[in-house]
Amino acid sequence: MTWLSQAARIATRELRGGLAGFRIFLACLALGVAAIAAVGSVRVSITEGLQREGRVILGGDAEVEFSYRFATDQELDLLRSFATEVSAAVDFRSMAATAQGPDADRALTQVKAVDALYPLTGAVALEPDIPLAEALAGDSVVVHPVLADRLGLEMGDSLWLGTKAFTITARLIREPDAGAAGFGLGPRTLVRTEALDGSGLLSSGSLFETDYRLTLPPETTDAQLDALEVQVETAFADAGARWRDRRNASPQVARFVDRIGSFLVLVGLAGLAVGGVGVSAAVRAYLDRKTPVIATLKTIGAEGRTIFAAYLMQIGVLAAVGVAIGLVLGAIIPLLAAPFISTQLPVPVAFGIHGGPLAEAALYGALTALIFTLWPLARTEQVRAASLFRDASGPARGWPRKRYVAALAASAVILIGASALLSGIPLLALYAAGAILVALGILVLAAWGVRALSRRLARTGTARGTPSLRLALGAVGGPGGEATAVVLSLGLGLTVLAAVGQIDANMRAAIDRDLPQVAPSYFFVDIQPDQLPGFLDRVENDPAVSRVDAAPMLGGVVQTLAGRPAADFDHWVTRGDRRISFADSLPEGTRITGGTWWPEGYDGPPQVSFAQEEADELGVEIGDEVTMNILGRDLTATVTSFREVDFSTGGIGFVMVFNEAALRGAPHTWLSTVYATPEAEAQILRDVAGDAPNITAVRVRDAIDLVTEALSALAAATSWGAGATLLTGFVVLIGAAAAGERGRVFEASVLKTLGATRRTILTSFAIRSALLGAAAGIVAIIGGALAGWGVLTFVMDAPYAFEPLSALVIVVGGALATLLAGLAFAWRPLAARPARVLRSQD
Amino acid sequence: MVLSLRDVSLSLQGNAGIVDILHGISLEVTERETVGLVGPSGSGKSSLLMLMGGLERATSGAVEALGRDLTEMDEDALARFRRGHMGVVFQSFHLIPTMTALENVATPLELAGDSDAFDRAAAELEAVGLGHRIGHYPAQMSGGEQQRVALARAAAPRPDILLADEPTGNLDQSTGEAIMDLLFGLRDRHGATLVLVTHSLDLAARCDRTIRLVDGRLDSETRRTAEAAE
Repeated sequence: MTWLSQAARIATRELRGGLAGFRIFLACLALGVAAIAAVGSVRVSITEGLQREGRVILGGDAEVEFSYRFATDQELDLLRSFATEVSAAVDFRSMAATAQGPDADRALTQVKAVDALYPLTGAVALEPDIPLAEALAGDSVVVHPVLADRLGLEMGDSLWLGTKAFTITARLIREPDAGAAGFGLGPRTLVRTEALDGSGLLSSGSLFETDYRLTLPPETTDAQLDALEVQVETAFADAGARWRDRRNASPQVARFVDRIGSFLVLVGLAGLAVGGVGVSAAVRAYLDRKTPVIATLKTIGAEGRTIFAAYLMQIGVLAAVGVAIGLVLGAIIPLLAAPFISTQLPVPVAFGIHGGPLAEAALYGALTALIFTLWPLARTEQVRAASLFRDASGPARGWPRKRYVAALAASAVILIGASALLSGIPLLALYAAGAILVALGILVLAAWGVRALSRRLARTGTARGTPSLRLALGAVGGPGGEATAVVLSLGLGLTVLAAVGQIDANMRAAIDRDLPQVAPSYFFVDIQPDQLPGFLDRVENDPAVSRVDAAPMLGGVVQTLAGRPAADFDHWVTRGDRRISFADSLPEGTRITGGTWWPEGYDGPPQVSFAQEEADELGVEIGDEVTMNILGRDLTATVTSFREVDFSTGGIGFVMVFNEAALRGAPHTWLSTVYATPEAEAQILRDVAGDAPNITAVRVRDAIDLVTEALSALAAATSWGAGATLLTGFVVLIGAAAAGERGRVFEASVLKTLGATRRTILTSFAIRSALLGAAAGIVAIIGGALAGWGVLTFVMDAPYAFEPLSALVIVVGGALATLLAGLAFAWRPLAARPARVLRSQD
Repeated sequence: MVLSLRDVSLSLQGNAGIVDILHGISLEVTERETVGLVGPSGSGKSSLLMLMGGLERATSGAVEALGRDLTEMDEDALARFRRGHMGVVFQSFHLIPTMTALENVATPLELAGDSDAFDRAAAELEAVGLGHRIGHYPAQMSGGEQQRVALARAAAPRPDILLADEPTGNLDQSTGEAIMDLLFGLRDRHGATLVLVTHSLDLAARCDRTIRLVDGRLDSETRRTAEAAE
């Protein structure tokens, strides 16, 4: 391996020249790696925080949850057989009112009814700072400040839940187990469970969850937790109970953080690809400068592989430095942002330095550096010794040897494979990799097209009469320009931003514009069967109400589907409780898409009608069987029809509707949607809640606001990711402008010699910068629109419409960015004295 | 008088401090005259030529061209003056790499607002024997071809003054001779005044007058005799 040691010696000597000219190379790699490392570190910090503080978040070492019922004595006995403490908490939605009757103010609240042991872990913080036992003594409640403010209530005022009045004794400042509760629609009210007696709430058929929190002996190991989970799930297999323990205290938050984290890593990879363009440009420029050295080495007998290895080693050392800087930044940024991130999340975060995400970022950085430098490095073999003796007319062209092309392809496959494997969302990762490759391909074509078009336009009559325009077009279209680097780097950065803009705008448009036109004003839930006639009488006879839909509703847990256990499916339908309905005749407006609806008055073996889209996703076919546990009893029904269910309308939509006879006897409540004019909404709420305080009204507009708020947070997080990508794009852009400065100094000097004024030269520079920026922007709009269409159509299953405003901002932004970068590097060319510049090159 | 320099000095800031390049140079060049500037390397020949073209600013003294004081003009005024009256040829050609031969030659004409810039440029390239290379970029041409394009570019606006800084310095002997024939041919055709910096005494001998510089000072001046001219 003499040639390798020779290469190492050459590399070491060459590196004595220092890192000059590699600032952009280092910045590109460091930025990309830092963004990925930071996102990964935050994700792991949250996950570790969830694990470390799992006991506090969960409110105990473990929890067993029942839907719509309390545990039986036998079930409680089993829990007490291994737990040292068992505390029960009931969670449900209700209306909180300032008084009884139609004139009261009402607001939706998420009630948690607790026993004297609550909380088993952590502490509730109240204002005033009194013990919880004191605050909840008798018929007292503790309310979240938002609810108190919404209803204008102070300490000592009455708050009505159902048909019972409670006294507010404190404001709820911190609820230790809030992270485990998931996302509620209303602010929290805490109350003793026994105090709810006489409120009319929690009656049969009502929608509530009962959580039994358990304290286990301190020595309980993870293996024992596994054993207990199996024991509980076996014993309660048919009871619809769900086990959670301190290791997965907040699966919703964990899943959300995991998904958004993975998504942001993919955005980070796009940033790294943008950085790769800068890395590649820097290496090309470096090797161009080194052409005489390479030619000299060849003249004195160095083989092609020795030269390739020598320069690969140099670039490798520099890449390692860039990756290391990125890792340091990626590790430090989350620590600096810790106070801000902590306030944004309902769960504790274990900030620290985590090896896993740093290693992942380092791997991506190293592979990206390799992919984007192999091609120019491979071309060092094509430099001929003869180039020393005649004017080298630029870098070598053509394809490198096959082994380098194979190595490049292998590196790309490893990078894509690693991102698919490590992100946890392989399909999306593959889509993202495909999209980045397609975008890079489109951008290369676009750069070629822009150059060809510029050359053609430079020869038109208009351009020939306007020197500054023709000079600009000539510079964009001519050889050795910066067009490709600028269009690629800025274009890819802007494409990511445009895609985010298109997706965000379309989602907002869907919510802001489409949904309210067809969505109901209210969802009324928990309507007892005996309350239904009175309720319908009130709403159906109101001239301001245009439509009322009502359906019976009860909850259940899918046990088996098409002969497979529910746990085998990774789908929301088979996860947790599923609200189901029953009907005899086909509900009005329902469209059957497959099979047949049961005949009216059908009383045979249970049948179920399945939503077509969900059936397709789950692979359910006509004739398959579904077993559901409904209030502790298993019900098996055959799928006999498919229906079209459009959840996007905000109306009533059940994935499964059973035949009436199968569920008629089961305790249930009614769900109703009421479509009314906005002016009539308040009065309807007052009348319905005044007559039946147990009925809970969910205002659809409030729910939409919550979704919009969550969406804004998501869009903000994604925008930060896209921003990092764009920042890398700007760095590459500045690199390209800086690299082109020498050429522009020369060009300006020649032009001055030929009689061009500084204004003509500056105008020409400005036009060429704006042209390239606008070209990058236009390609970004096309790429962003394609990506937006793809994500909305295939991932979100939502309609896509081109959003022009963000697109316009991106084109103008792109043009401005390149213009500013170009002008920032125009000063030296304009100030250059022609004699000194031109003579120095003689 | 086409060119007039009075007590011109030039000092430049170098890495090791201020370097005095030219010391009190005074000379005059008449209409249609050809002047060769010779001297050893570093004697200030090219710097003197740059001062004549307004490409460098004198530290002291006056530089006049066609009766206009170049030292009084700003950068843009100098550029406009060159546009109409001067053509410059460099040793390293200095073609703009992003432009074709035709575009390079047309540029000064365009800057001067010439409406048939491209037709005239094409004719000029034809005149230097490059009619078949007008769409080629500099990188696609040999050194000799690039210098011919540079000559065409300098001559295309029909300048009153042609300044050439060692135009054959980067070329082999036969190509160099061909270039010089072209340069003198262009000068004859357009009737311009020519100032030529060269190391070659043979080339200098083709000029009406040869001025020798040593250490930034005028050392000697030789006029061509009638016999030599013949």
